[in-house]
Amino acid sequence: MMTIKYRPAPEQDLIWHPLDSMTLLFHRPSGITHMLAEPAPAILQVMADAPLSAAEIAVRLTSAFDIDPDLETETIVQARLAELFDLGLVDRVPG
Amino acid sequence: MQPMHQILLKIGPAAFRIASAWRQPLEQLEALYRDYPVPPDDLVDFTVRLEPGKPWRRHIRPSVHIGGDFWLPDAAPLPLSQGLLAGEMGMNLQMALGWRRHLLLHASSVERDGEALVMTGLSGSGKSTLSAMLAQKGWRFMGDEFALLSIDSGDIEPFPRLISLKNQAIGAMEEVASAERFGPEMRGTPKGDIRHLVPPKSAIDRMEEPARPALLLFPRFGHAPALRDMGQSEIFVRLTQASTNYVALGEAGFCALTRFVDQVPARAMDYQSIEQAEELIESLWSERR
Repeated sequence: MMTIKYRPAPEQDLIWHPLDSMTLLFHRPSGITHMLAEPAPAILQVMADAPLSAAEIAVRLTSAFDIDPDLETETIVQARLAELFDLGLVDRVPG
Repeated sequence: MQPMHQILLKIGPAAFRIASAWRQPLEQLEALYRDYPVPPDDLVDFTVRLEPGKPWRRHIRPSVHIGGDFWLPDAAPLPLSQGLLAGEMGMNLQMALGWRRHLLLHASSVERDGEALVMTGLSGSGKSTLSAMLAQKGWRFMGDEFALLSIDSGDIEPFPRLISLKNQAIGAMEEVASAERFGPEMRGTPKGDIRHLVPPKSAIDRMEEPARPALLLFPRFGHAPALRDMGQSEIFVRLTQASTNYVALGEAGFCALTRFVDQVPARAMDYQSIEQAEELIESLWSERR
């Protein structure tokens, strides 16, 4: 079975700006300002240049933020990735 | 085509040509803007056109349609007796839809000690009245409708148009400002009763002098006096809603607004009287930064 992998929008397309409880992300190609709540900014930050699956991102998140890995993490990551894809902030690539 | 009358106005960084099928609105504007300079070389940024919607409406029950470089297709015409208001609304429309040299915030602003207090809020929040009142108490009036946030420097540039007093604010200002500063009272306009007030002379003389923003307030009239801290996310969202050109400015608007939110302390302020508001503002101003 083919796994869907994800990669973030190119770094030069984004301007990050942390606020108190949210993170602003200005997307240059669309001119749209996104206001992201956790864990969406953390998901984008742990995605390196190589495309990753939702399961791989969940592993990186749990180790980066020292949380217990469970099935739910991957489900949450999957849901956020679908939203980030709709916003044009991540791309899908065949795994 | 019928001949048009016209006047040229320079207000802060913006220059306007107001063209009108009737003399009356222009005579009123000319009288109220009598102390303002004319644009250098007659160059203007925008043209506002006050014309009859239909040719016969020039003379029969004359109604003023607001046009110009930028216009709204569904704007209702105003009776000629409200032609002055039509001229002011026309200038607002050009700025809201066409200005790109600053980030525009629907806000009033006043200056003291070289720094600016910016007040933003919905219609009825009292931002216009507060700016007019503070201008009677030693603050320099910078504008009651739009605060112009410089994209490069982060300063607020003055845009001291006529102060648009509505409903109860008219009587309150008539008690403290001299009679020759008032325009005609217009009753029953789409925005309620309106009377325009000429800004103090110092505001006009110093309309090229920007000021560094030092305090942002979100006033709300009609609630027991209180100050509330606000999170940066709430401030950012409310300022994008208060800006008419944030989206149009793209990255420049994003950078200007995030810098403003980072650097300028902000509070929500509830009040029930001008005196309460002044007291709260004085306490915040003295302890700013």
